[in-house]
Amino acid sequence: MSKQKTARGAIEALMAGYEKLGYVSDEQIATALYLAQKLEKPLLVEGPPGVGKTELAKATAEYLGLNMIRLQCYEGLDEGKALYEWQYGKQLLYTQVLKEKLGDVMQGAKTLDESMTRLGGFEDVFFSEQFLQTRPLLEALRADDGIVLLIDEIDKSDDEFEAFLLEILSDYQISIPELGTVKAKKPPLVFLTSNNTREIGDALKRRCLHLYIPFPDAERENTILQARVPELDDGLRANVVNFVQAVRDMDLKKPPAVSETIDWARTVVLLNMNVLEADFVKNTLNVLLKFKSDIENVESDLPRLMRESQSPEAAAE
Amino acid sequence: MIADFVRILRAADIRVSPAETLDAAEIFDTIGFDDRQILKHALGQTLAKTETEKLAFDEAFESYFRLPEETPPPMAAAQEEGESDDKSAEQNSGEGQPQEGAQNGGDTSDSPEGGAPQSLTDMLENNDTAAMQAAMQQAATEAGLANAKLFTQQGMFSRRIMEAMGLAELEARIRQMNEGGETEKADKLREGRARLFDAVQDFVERQIAMRTKNAGRLLREDALSRIRLSNLDKSDMKIMRELIRKLAKRLASRHSRRRKKAQRGVLDIRRTMRANVAYDGKLFNLAWRRVKVERPKLIVLCDVSGSVAAVSRFFLMFLYSLDEVMPKTRSFVFSNRAGEITDVLQEGDLEEAMENALRQYGGGSTDYGMSMMDLAEATLDAVDKKTTLMVLGDARSNYGDPGHLVLKEFYERAGRVIFLNPEPETVWDTGDSEMKKLGAYCTHKQTCNSVKHVERVLDDLLRLSS
Repeated sequence: MSKQKTARGAIEALMAGYEKLGYVSDEQIATALYLAQKLEKPLLVEGPPGVGKTELAKATAEYLGLNMIRLQCYEGLDEGKALYEWQYGKQLLYTQVLKEKLGDVMQGAKTLDESMTRLGGFEDVFFSEQFLQTRPLLEALRADDGIVLLIDEIDKSDDEFEAFLLEILSDYQISIPELGTVKAKKPPLVFLTSNNTREIGDALKRRCLHLYIPFPDAERENTILQARVPELDDGLRANVVNFVQAVRDMDLKKPPAVSETIDWARTVVLLNMNVLEADFVKNTLNVLLKFKSDIENVESDLPRLMRESQSPEAAAE
Repeated sequence: MIADFVRILRAADIRVSPAETLDAAEIFDTIGFDDRQILKHALGQTLAKTETEKLAFDEAFESYFRLPEETPPPMAAAQEEGESDDKSAEQNSGEGQPQEGAQNGGDTSDSPEGGAPQSLTDMLENNDTAAMQAAMQQAATEAGLANAKLFTQQGMFSRRIMEAMGLAELEARIRQMNEGGETEKADKLREGRARLFDAVQDFVERQIAMRTKNAGRLLREDALSRIRLSNLDKSDMKIMRELIRKLAKRLASRHSRRRKKAQRGVLDIRRTMRANVAYDGKLFNLAWRRVKVERPKLIVLCDVSGSVAAVSRFFLMFLYSLDEVMPKTRSFVFSNRAGEITDVLQEGDLEEAMENALRQYGGGSTDYGMSMMDLAEATLDAVDKKTTLMVLGDARSNYGDPGHLVLKEFYERAGRVIFLNPEPETVWDTGDSEMKKLGAYCTHKQTCNSVKHVERVLDDLLRLSS
């Protein structure tokens, strides 16, 4: 019985802890975080852009007091840039130096065999730590006391890279042909984020916990604003939230995300507005919406939206 | 129990791998049954991995872990916590579950004969709902309820479950009580038995409904993907559309990332030498050989005339999905004249686009000659070896000019010309069908009249191009 109680308690503690850091989570998110730590599994976070996927990882790092390593994915990202690389230039310089010293090294070598053995001694040096350029993934595995690894926008990377991640994500280890297998001393807490521009492979999904963060409902958005833009007074905040929620209901190319709501709320504060006026809204719509057609759409519907933002009950009717 | 739940999820079209099942087991271990809401979140995160799956999962979870809210036992009422949701009744009965689950959590899954810790009589006398529920689950496993497929099996399974739970013993006990003069007690037990019977029936009904819910739809989808398109019912269109969308998505994920395949590992000596002239020929910058895979340029000409009215909607759906998979597609439709609908397809949703296209160009009598000319005028200059021309139509030209000479020009310039004909090969060249003339200038010609065909054609096309 007790362990169930602790699960509940831990999850609630997580929620409270995150809220202190300014990240408003909900039960769903907190459960995912709890499980990710408990089961040592990577967490795949999906959702529309701007709902705080990346922010979640940052908040986690802060909450746990760990460093965060971020790997931004893009098309064409390969293991050379994600994991490690040999510093070819440095190796080459080293060779040049070696060439000059070659005479010294070879001095006294009578036979070809002997000189080969002597040269062989240098071979290992070329593929050693000295010439190893570590990249985010390897760094994350080598971190001594745990780390938060954020693999951002995994959907932007190629299939090959996704497959390459599998070993790291399931066993927290990686094989480097020249050096052997590197195993994490302490498994990093891995976050993968995706905007769903393409389907993530099943193999990867299978290894992860899957968290979908949708746009927040009015209540949660209100709390988020409260945490992020505390200068905004209650009534105005409710108006802002209602307005954004109503805009989201419309058929738009890109509905405003939480980050945009926050920006807009900051605008409201910055311009010292006391009430949401139609003129003001019209002039600042570009903070909220990023497409011209969207702005036009909303503008034409402004009176209705304004009415709804003042009293959401009227909208329900 | 986990295995059983997973089976239900699979029936609801959620893909659950054995590894995920193991994860789920681990979750039961860490979270327990105590907190239904958290359990739901946790399981959802491990088992359902897309948005649609999440929805299906929520539904399945609600119905699977809903516990019957029969006779609120007094102890449950005492446990009533300040939970504000309306599910508190279920939650209460859920509260009782863990002790039971802890006791026979192991044997529900592997050795059903492990023996119920309480006899049925005790349970009824104590009105122990939770224990009863657990016993019912276990009995259901023994009776093989998981394999139930038909509604008609309901009665049989109810009976079997009752028996497995120890009905015989209960009957004996009642009789014994009657004889012993404890009529009051016996009545109470009988009453309990009736209640139990109801509960079991309800349970079985729900279980069977849950398991068979999706079977029908799956069957239908499978059948639909094979069916001839001209035989499609209007009501099937909706499922069909879903199917096409799935198809497009599958193809897209299979092929979308092949554009730039860098073959690392093969040194491009010429480029390396050139790049390092500046360094006195010391090989500082290495250049690797790269293979750039270009996606095909695709031009599609689609017949929407009266003769193919039955399948033209399907063709358009096909075009629409093509557009999602291969963004470089230019789409034309024609009946007597050809017109470009690339933009129409890229804007609105499928339904709208289809209506638009059909209204603008559809319905007339076919004129391949004229349409080919139109197409040539619009695109021929842009056709090169990377281009694939795809013609969707029945090649029936009302004895007019089939436009094969124009097609020949395309054939000479383009990488490939593909002709997809909804008619089976046996009726090609009968009547006004000009398949022979047109087919001479095609690299591929093929019957295409079901979703299965479409998938094969598209897959080949994409594979050849990469």
